[in-house]
Amino acid sequence: MATVIRVRDLARTYQVTEREAGLAAALRSLVRRRTRQVKAVDRVSFEIDAGEIVGFLGANGAGKTTSLKMLSGLLYPTAGEASVLGFTPSNREAAFLSQITLVMGQRNQLVWDVPAVDSFELSRAVYRLPRDEYRQTLDELIDLLDLQPVLGVPVRNLSLGERMKCEIAGALLHRPKVLFLDEPTIGLDVTAQRRIRAFLKEYNTRHNAAILLTSHYMADVEALCKRVIVIHHGHLIYDGDLTHLRQQFTTYKTIVVKPGDAPLDPALLAAYGEIICEEVGQIQLRVHRLDAARTTARLLADFPITDVSIVEPPIEEVIERVFAMPDRENVEPEPVYEAV
Amino acid sequence: MRYLRLIGLSFKMSILNELQYRANFVVQIFQTALELLVALGGLSIVYSHTSDLNGWSASELVVVVGVYFLIGGVINMLIQPSMIRLMEDVHQGTLDFTLLKPVDAQFMVSVREVRLWKLVNMIVGCVLIGVGLARLNASVDAGQALVFLTVLALGLLIVYSFWMMLTTCAFWFTRIENILVIFESMYEAGRYPVRIYPGWLQFTLTFLVPIAFAVTVPAEALLGRLTAETLLGAAGLAALMLITARLFWQRGLRHYSGASA
Repeated sequence: MATVIRVRDLARTYQVTEREAGLAAALRSLVRRRTRQVKAVDRVSFEIDAGEIVGFLGANGAGKTTSLKMLSGLLYPTAGEASVLGFTPSNREAAFLSQITLVMGQRNQLVWDVPAVDSFELSRAVYRLPRDEYRQTLDELIDLLDLQPVLGVPVRNLSLGERMKCEIAGALLHRPKVLFLDEPTIGLDVTAQRRIRAFLKEYNTRHNAAILLTSHYMADVEALCKRVIVIHHGHLIYDGDLTHLRQQFTTYKTIVVKPGDAPLDPALLAAYGEIICEEVGQIQLRVHRLDAARTTARLLADFPITDVSIVEPPIEEVIERVFAMPDRENVEPEPVYEAV
Repeated sequence: MRYLRLIGLSFKMSILNELQYRANFVVQIFQTALELLVALGGLSIVYSHTSDLNGWSASELVVVVGVYFLIGGVINMLIQPSMIRLMEDVHQGTLDFTLLKPVDAQFMVSVREVRLWKLVNMIVGCVLIGVGLARLNASVDAGQALVFLTVLALGLLIVYSFWMMLTTCAFWFTRIENILVIFESMYEAGRYPVRIYPGWLQFTLTFLVPIAFAVTVPAEALLGRLTAETLLGAAGLAALMLITARLFWQRGLRHYSGASA
């Protein structure tokens, strides 16, 4: 399959100004600034094929948005190379920009006081879309996102979910081949999230578009992405199947035991694993990943049990563990003093 | 052609946006009336003491004030709103969306906003010019009118480039709304022909904040005071400033892509 995004040793360093709290420190910093180099993205490499949906995971400040901005040409990399659809993003060529899109869930580009359809009309001129092609794409988007009732309403009168649907439609009018989505479902209710998820999946299949998506909602990632890339303090720490992520970062599984007619004494079960949940008719044991099968067999042999199942830890927990890991390589550099 | 269409659509959006707030229209009429009162009041006070201000008669100054209103209207309608929007976009990071479009970014940021109600100032300006010329019994032939329109356009290009350069500073300093105040107070000085000011201020208003080319020079064209040198100078300065503004913008953009989070 064709590779559409190729990133090699991409890095981005920011210079940030630091000062202590308070007015005196603020005045001092007018004269003498203390700056520090922060490596937002540090030698990251990966490739994405056409038609792939890849989840881009990381805690706040891990470097996700910086990476997306470099890939869409808004930021120059400090080092390394990026190639998207054969273009170098930072050159911002028209032929490149007409084939990509960037949606930022926390910012909107639709004009606030007019209906979305007027903003779309401007996009049509910007991207030089022939009228019938534009009409066709718009009809498709209206259909998939259920936009008909909201199209003629001024954007400021729309609910957050409706607005986001319009934002996404507006960002896809030119049928981009590569989509960078930064938190496209942030703040939306479950129904709206599901709707947008289903839409992205459909767009991806229909147009064989590559999607690189960040989200704090693991449901988004689980529903859409087979593959995830995890960055942590600017480093790429995982690139592969979502299911393997669990195995790599968690060492345990949960065994759910349903006792038979006679109640089970939890104290007896404690010898088999750590009891993490105890309810009527159900006890959950945490055991080491490698012991799961053996422990299950022993439980079945030793107790009158009607049902037993082995459950992978929820993806939220896995991610939480990953995010909680200490920063291994990015040792704080000495502050640099710079007179201004 | 495509760019004309974009200007049209962009303006349409902005006007649609503005039409939602009709109260602004009334406020604008009130504001223009006030400005007019101050400007003409000032003139009548000055000319109650003298009939000649450094070689300019009262009626000639009415023409200058007319041009001041006309150009001020155009600046406030077409140039300043887009520039203020650009400052906000840089501050809030929403400029990103413009940079993602396959259209020249400088063009796009320059035509995004239009304040329709400023037409009131333009109309008042034209009326004042007419009144001034009538009182002078001056006739303006087609050639003079053409020269007037030419220097008017050159003056606007100069002011646009000047604004563009000021606004581009936002890429480095992020918050520069104060610059606006500087321009506006300088522009008010344009109510009088710059020739009446002392030398250092004349220089400032001609080359540092180029109000002279926006107001005085077009007025001179109408009053038959324009020299060929001034006309060429205006053309040269316009070209120079456009190019400088362009290069400065590109530099600023590189800095923006290099620095923004």
